[in-house]
Amino acid sequence: MSRKTKDRLTQAAVYGSAGLTVVILVLIIGFIVIRGLPGINLSFLTRSWEDETTYILLDTDLTEDAIQAGTIDELGVTLTEDETGLLVENLDSDSPLKSASNIQGDPFEVKTGDYITRATEEDNGQLRLRVERPGGGIVPMLVTTIYMILLSLLVAAPIGIFSAVYLIEYAKPGKIMTLIHFAIENLAGIPSIIYGLFGCLFFVRVCHFQYSLLAGALTLSIMLLPTIITTTEESLKAIPRTYRESSLGLGATKLQTVTKVVLPNALPGILVAVLLAMGRIVGESAALLLTAGTVASIPTALWGNAASGATLTIKMYTLMKEENDLTTACAIGIVLLVIVIVLNFASKMITKKLMSKKGE
Amino acid sequence: MSRNVKRDILEKVVEAIFLICALVGVVSVAAIIIFVFYQGLHPFFGSDAYSFWDFISGTRWAPSEDVYGVFFMIVASVLATLGAIIIGVPLGVLTAVFIAEIAPKNAVKVIKPAVELLAGIPSVLYGAFGLGVIVPLIREISPEVQGQSLLAVIIVLTIMVLPTIVSLSEAAIKAVPKSYREASLGLGASKMQTIFKVVVPAAKSGILSAAVLGIGRAIGETMAVMMIAGNPTQGLPDSIWSMVRPLTTNIAMEMSYSSGRQQEMLFATGVILFVFIMIVNLTLIRLTHKAGEKDK
Repeated sequence: MSRKTKDRLTQAAVYGSAGLTVVILVLIIGFIVIRGLPGINLSFLTRSWEDETTYILLDTDLTEDAIQAGTIDELGVTLTEDETGLLVENLDSDSPLKSASNIQGDPFEVKTGDYITRATEEDNGQLRLRVERPGGGIVPMLVTTIYMILLSLLVAAPIGIFSAVYLIEYAKPGKIMTLIHFAIENLAGIPSIIYGLFGCLFFVRVCHFQYSLLAGALTLSIMLLPTIITTTEESLKAIPRTYRESSLGLGATKLQTVTKVVLPNALPGILVAVLLAMGRIVGESAALLLTAGTVASIPTALWGNAASGATLTIKMYTLMKEENDLTTACAIGIVLLVIVIVLNFASKMITKKLMSKKGE
Repeated sequence: MSRNVKRDILEKVVEAIFLICALVGVVSVAAIIIFVFYQGLHPFFGSDAYSFWDFISGTRWAPSEDVYGVFFMIVASVLATLGAIIIGVPLGVLTAVFIAEIAPKNAVKVIKPAVELLAGIPSVLYGAFGLGVIVPLIREISPEVQGQSLLAVIIVLTIMVLPTIVSLSEAAIKAVPKSYREASLGLGASKMQTIFKVVVPAAKSGILSAAVLGIGRAIGETMAVMMIAGNPTQGLPDSIWSMVRPLTTNIAMEMSYSSGRQQEMLFATGVILFVFIMIVNLTLIRLTHKAGEKDK
């Protein structure tokens, strides 16, 4: 083969590979978006996952027969009938339904989209309505994901940042530093299912947290340490020595130098570390499956029975694996993609700004 | 107490806090290893011990009959990882060559963010893609009835290790000194010859690290694989169309409802996986340190 044809062939292979990489990305994103888009609508983004039924009590002269399709002026509501019941189609801003209370006496706001499925007169003259709020929305998973992000970062960010400060500003090369670096490099290589096993054993069982927010968040915190430490280390390394020397030379102590000079200058880099960590939390699934459970409601405690909650990724997984609902799964996939792209973009902007500042 | 003494104490206390934080990582690694190994090795000792040989050489997993063999899972994990690396490394290195050496600036602006985004996509989404696109495609052409197969796993894992391999190889290629290229071109070599005979060989150790890191990713991947592997409970795969059950999915599938011996065996599966990961980790650390020393 002549040198020219050989060159052409290798060139074709290089172009082909690069093209294939882009095509794969387009295929994946295209598939998720096309498959999931039919599942995305306002109620998907604003509603709870499970259907909810609430009984409310109203002080009104209306009889139970008055609750039917049409506009009811006394209640400031327009109802239409379908197979589920009476759909609340329109609510006036001063409707008493908006400030109703449930049987326990807690306030409950009826919203458009709810169904009234039964009306009964109570002995004391009050009117009792059964209100059904259809589910199918991802709000609980969104909230759980946010809780998980906050809780994990609350633990991992300080520990990770302080570790990096120690390694760069305080530690002298030696056994301890080698040991710490060795540990971090190993942590980075452990797959999330192993973290899940550990979390399941230690946090869920030994600490008796059960499948919970706290067990999930603590497991994730360990997992995030390498990301946060190495990224923060990089940004600390990038700060010129002269900054530290002039601060120390002016009589500042080591601690003052770290808190007043080093950390403020490293802030954008630390922010990038936090954003990267957020991306990992949002995308994590295997470790959370084994530590935080798959319940599709908002956790009401940090640990214990009421603390289990599925994040968006976990819900997406159970939808595919257990409920065979690829459309809804891909709809959640779109939400995840949007979050990942936003985080990606944000960290890039920060890095870019940092680079241009250095160029000055 | 004078202000200076107070200040000195504060300095020491804060330094100690920083050190303690830095040691959290060390303690965590130790705790993970101890807990997983303790729980995972437990069923092989004591009066009611399960034969370790039966465990590691068995090709059937039937907790209801107290049969726990993981050999077919080890084979599945190894084959899937090898497949992904064999396809992923050339594809990734060529893409890295394109980005680092050949591409015009505009093309880099498209392909680099694409690679970064691929790296950031959660693995469940790869699972959805595999389930919705790859598996039906394979079902069309496969001699078997189902699309869940070793091939599906290899394809999805290849895509998943691609970003790692591309970005690390790119960094390695970019780190090759310019003078290498100039010398080669000056001797009359073509651009392609320069790239593949001089630059890529010079970036060898970086590319090797990328491949090893890719192996770690592929062997540890769980959620995407679980959706498309088929997860049979016995039998070695006899072709790329066979369903497989990698080590990772065995753990994730049964953990939530298992207890007693079965759960300990899941930890034992984790121990096997962990041993593979440790080999990968240590190789990687040795490789990067070697490269670091060479730079000095």
